[in-house]
Amino acid sequence: MKFNSDEIASVLQAEIEQFDNKIDVREVGTVLEVGDGIARVYGLSGVMAGEMVEFPNGATGLAFNLEENSVGVIILGDFLTIQEGDEVKALGTLLSVPVGDAVIGRVLDPLGNPLDGKGPVQTSETRPVEIIAKGIADRQPVHEPMQTGIKAIDAMTPVGRGQRELIIGDRKTGKTAIAIDAILNQKHTGVKCFYIAIGQKDSAVASIIEVLNRHGAMEYTTVIAAGASAPAPLQYVAPYAGTAMAEHFMYQGGHSLVVYDDLSKQATAYRQMSLLMRRPPGREAYPGDVFYCHSRLLERSAKLSKELGGGSITSLPIIETLEGEVSAYIPTNVISITDGQIYLQPDLFFAGIRPAMNAGISVSRVGGAAQIKAMKKVAGGLRLDLAAFRALEAFAQLGTDLDPATQAQLDRGYRMVELLKQPQYQPLSAAEQVMSLFAGTRGHLDDVPIKAVSQWEKDYLQFIRDKHSTLLTEITEKGDLTDEITKRVLDVIKEFKSGYKPVVPA
Amino acid sequence: MAETAQHETVLDIGAEQLGKTYARAVLGAAVRENASDQVLDQLRGIVNETLREHPKLAAAFHSPRVSAAEKSRILDRLFGTSVHPILLKTMKVMAERGRLGYLGAVSRAADLLHDEIAGRVVAEVRTAVPLSDELRNEVSQRLAQSLGKDVRLKEVVVSTLVGGMVIRVGDTVYDSSVASRISQMGRVARDGFARKLLEQSERFASEV
Repeated sequence: MKFNSDEIASVLQAEIEQFDNKIDVREVGTVLEVGDGIARVYGLSGVMAGEMVEFPNGATGLAFNLEENSVGVIILGDFLTIQEGDEVKALGTLLSVPVGDAVIGRVLDPLGNPLDGKGPVQTSETRPVEIIAKGIADRQPVHEPMQTGIKAIDAMTPVGRGQRELIIGDRKTGKTAIAIDAILNQKHTGVKCFYIAIGQKDSAVASIIEVLNRHGAMEYTTVIAAGASAPAPLQYVAPYAGTAMAEHFMYQGGHSLVVYDDLSKQATAYRQMSLLMRRPPGREAYPGDVFYCHSRLLERSAKLSKELGGGSITSLPIIETLEGEVSAYIPTNVISITDGQIYLQPDLFFAGIRPAMNAGISVSRVGGAAQIKAMKKVAGGLRLDLAAFRALEAFAQLGTDLDPATQAQLDRGYRMVELLKQPQYQPLSAAEQVMSLFAGTRGHLDDVPIKAVSQWEKDYLQFIRDKHSTLLTEITEKGDLTDEITKRVLDVIKEFKSGYKPVVPA
Repeated sequence: MAETAQHETVLDIGAEQLGKTYARAVLGAAVRENASDQVLDQLRGIVNETLREHPKLAAAFHSPRVSAAEKSRILDRLFGTSVHPILLKTMKVMAERGRLGYLGAVSRAADLLHDEIAGRVVAEVRTAVPLSDELRNEVSQRLAQSLGKDVRLKEVVVSTLVGGMVIRVGDTVYDSSVASRISQMGRVARDGFARKLLEQSERFASEV
């Protein structure tokens, strides 16, 4: 291969001819001091809050603090080569990121620069990073399901398109795993996914990208990464940048899923910036507006009205708690902002119940309206039953004799817990989940040994896929368990059980 | 808040703020006596000549170990007859309040304030070669026309500009220098070329 130099010259010539010869008028200031990702600038007397500025080394900054004598600027980029006395130029625009189909499948930093070595993002479309969310009149209630492919979640805390469902739990409880499964499950649904890694180890982000690639999920996913080594200002803007990219699809009537992994690190980055800017610290040393920092971000997840095309952004913010402390500042804030939370517990996780969701305190405030009818029918009282089972289980461990009804409730509970276990990276379709939960909640598993349940379910689903795939498509299409379908499901279960002997693993 | 303005970019915001306050006071008093030009000239003279030539005096003015009464006596002896009474009184007030070390900041702020009141602005003109008289007149006339104010030019020669000129009025910079145009053209060409190269990579490359 060889470059055709004539062609290159012609492109250059066109660029030079288009170059207009105007006097460059700009507002400038002088760097007084710089360090830790922030700079104090003298001058810039006409700069506005949130305006972009440029340093001589090419780094951009945001006017963050406007004071009487100086301007506090957060530096989005390399601050080590900025010197005292450097001239800072106001750009007169707000921070924007590239958007559109060109960002799909890419790994970008929060400014839209490539991190995957595939060259610059080829698009001329941009959107401002910080915009105010749409108001009441431009929205409609959440009504379409956003299937995560995880039985426990789709059955008990269903998520709708446009909802904000918090994933909260201690470290190493499978928070990211749930989000990744939800992304994998969006294959063939047309939902664009955005995974925003904030303050994560770069190795962890690399392995997530690897998983997404392996399962073909990068075709519809964008990863925005501001790793642990990125300066705090970049970690702070990452979620807003990712949301701006998702909004592009929402306003075109499309659907997107945004995962913020995780917002506690963003709050920490914001705290660092605020303290360096000498804003007064409040509770846990967070600045007073850390609530607004999260509320204005999550408010941008919405289900737009029909007039605006009916697009949506569903968000799965993640919060890491310390020792299960959900009453700390940031967790309570984000719990109160979101439309429900999935609470993951370490003891459940280590007992092998994965996803380690605590059914008692996990809720979905709007998702119920988005569940398909069939799922509502099979999983109606499941969450409360399971919570009651947990209470009963603790009681039963005392070793007292139980009456047959209580014993039956316990037996059902043990089997449901087994049934709701699900391996990582294996999301199930809604129809498969319905088939599976039908067997559990209607008591068809009561005669299967507890330890054999998961193998039973696996073989049962394989049996259905092989022999009765029409039933699955019918459930998917109708979305409801009509009398006729219920009868067919019962027949299928009967047929499967007649030829199957549960295997108890040794 | 040490008086540290050794070169332009080292700036003590506290001292500048302090300077502005005293400058407003001294200018107010001088205007009432109709002696603002005289007072400001003398203040500039003290800061730029006397204090610069005698660093020990400047150090004494700054030092908290020299008492206010002593400073007052020094001021009387040195400037008792040579400066306007308002300026002398101002310096004594500053000495009493332990701010005599900030005379430089007061002088700078007073000059700016005086210019502002008189509707004058200072325009810094950076050029690659020294301005000719003709050009100087034209520049100041054009600036006065477009800004609607009296313009005082402050000329700086920066050979790296290559050509053209950069004019700075307050925080606004009007840049028509050859250097910045070249770098901007370079950036546009680079971006455009990278974009074109990726968009139409097959057009540029031919199999050999």
